[in-house]
Amino acid sequence: MIHISVYYFGAISLILIGLYAVLVKKNVLKMLIGLSIMETGVNLLLISVGYISGRSAPILSEGVTPGRAVDPIPQALVLTAIVIGVATTAMALSVAIILYEKYNTLNVEEMRRLRG
Amino acid sequence: MNGQYAALIIALPLISAFFIPVIKAASKKAVMPFLLLVTLLQVVVAGWLFKEVYTSGKPIIVMAGKWQPPIGIDLYIGHFAALFLLIIAVISFFTAYFSMKSIKVEPVDKYAMLFLLLMLGATGMIATGDIFNLFVFMEITAITAYALTAYNKTGEAAEASMKYMILGGIGSSFFLIGIALIYGATGTLNMAQLAQLAGNINPTVAQVGLALLVFGLAVEAELFPLNAWAPDAYQAAPHPVTVMFSAFVVKAGLYAMARILYLMQDVGSWHSVLRLLVIMATLTVVVAEFSALRQNDVKRMIAYSSISQVGMIAFAIALGTQSGIDAGVFHMVNHAVVKALLFIGVGYVGMKLGGTTLEDFEGLGRKMPLTAFAITVGSLSAVGIPLFNIFWSKIRILLAGVAAGYAWGVALILGASVVEAVYYIRLIHRMWFGGSGERVSESLVLGAIMLFLVAVILVIGFYPNYIWGIAQKAGADIFDVGRYISNVPLLEVGA
Repeated sequence: MIHISVYYFGAISLILIGLYAVLVKKNVLKMLIGLSIMETGVNLLLISVGYISGRSAPILSEGVTPGRAVDPIPQALVLTAIVIGVATTAMALSVAIILYEKYNTLNVEEMRRLRG
Repeated sequence: MNGQYAALIIALPLISAFFIPVIKAASKKAVMPFLLLVTLLQVVVAGWLFKEVYTSGKPIIVMAGKWQPPIGIDLYIGHFAALFLLIIAVISFFTAYFSMKSIKVEPVDKYAMLFLLLMLGATGMIATGDIFNLFVFMEITAITAYALTAYNKTGEAAEASMKYMILGGIGSSFFLIGIALIYGATGTLNMAQLAQLAGNINPTVAQVGLALLVFGLAVEAELFPLNAWAPDAYQAAPHPVTVMFSAFVVKAGLYAMARILYLMQDVGSWHSVLRLLVIMATLTVVVAEFSALRQNDVKRMIAYSSISQVGMIAFAIALGTQSGIDAGVFHMVNHAVVKALLFIGVGYVGMKLGGTTLEDFEGLGRKMPLTAFAITVGSLSAVGIPLFNIFWSKIRILLAGVAAGYAWGVALILGASVVEAVYYIRLIHRMWFGGSGERVSESLVLGAIMLFLVAVILVIGFYPNYIWGIAQKAGADIFDVGRYISNVPLLEVGA
């Protein structure tokens, strides 16, 4: 059980580090990096949920029966989540480029035209 | 006709969206008419589904690739989904026409593509029967919504889009953690099987998981404190996009929230999650109404009003009673009609007169009488004047709130409604009794669309019982989880 909780601990720390960066940092790029770290943490958490100690990767080959593999569904979910994360990051970075062109800064405190 | 054709409701916008580059290569002018045609076909498909579901009284279950759930992903088109798929399709059709008139910024073909994908995302969120599939559709909706918010490429638009993306990113991470916890506890992602197994989950795990799912969806559903993006996005996004945001994107988020909440009602700690949502919803209403009062931009003001109405729907859903959820669904229908009308009207004014500040609305009664009339009817309805549609759903929500023992919430919402009346009447006063101006020519088709929506408001206002009956059936679809489970043909699988 001990090494399982290490994975959970690692995943949750990554999520919290990412959340901290998103909430506290002033630079748009740093916030986006925080968001990516958070997504990585979530993916790690999903993988750990499906992990069963001592079993191998869920590829059915010689000597690996369904009873001896880890749960494949979380891994499929993480693949999807990674693709979605890539799309979001690409979108966010292209918006960051427009922001820099319009305001000449990436500091969120200096780009407040929308208020109230 | 075979029920499996219902998959067209997802397939049609998806295929058409990726067909747009081909259309553009043939002729650039054909893109917008093509968009209009696709949304019209979507109305036909959705209308057929609505008729099937409401005449047979049975939901349509689409099994992707004939894989039986929970192995495969199923689409569940019950009474609620059929009703809202139709609303999404009809509003999209109107919005497609409005886009054809008002979107001048290039590249129009990318706009049409994003438009279809946004419609697809909301449709999928409402139709799906699998919780991870719901996440995927939510992300499709969110990413296209980010892109459409930034479409005008101004500084404001990019700023609003960035704000939306940061909050949306946090929200989707929360949602995914919630999925991880729930999957870890039950070993399934299928909604029906989840409902079966909900009673066995450890109450603490279920509480945390459910609260995370609710928080994740609160970004799309515009609930306090995760709705800071919404007014900015409404102000900066192109006019037709705001119509879609308010009329159905937010509804898809609310529906997903309601569906997940009620599926998990066997969970031991269910009521504490509901109480959390009641508090969030009441705060949403109060904060949004007072923010709306301070606005000088009408589009932003109506955005805040829309947020407060959404808070009211979330309040109704969080009551946890049959009458609450019925009233919430009824309010969703009314809100979709009224806010579509208001945002089309305000967007049309913005397009014709070049701005949406309160000054632009001075003397609108003389400049654009038809639009001013439509906005007036929409405003009166939003305030909740008797004989307009929102009155009936609002009063049912308040009665259900009192019956469920949340008198303090009802009192706060009633107080906030007075504030709502103040700023809407200020707008109406400005339109009819202030300023002067030359008559501006108004588009006949857009006028007809607005008059149609006005007619819907008045018909529901005078004869609420027909739509109320439909809303009750749709509400029962969410509330009656036992029937939901028995409707999905679950395959028995060994662990």
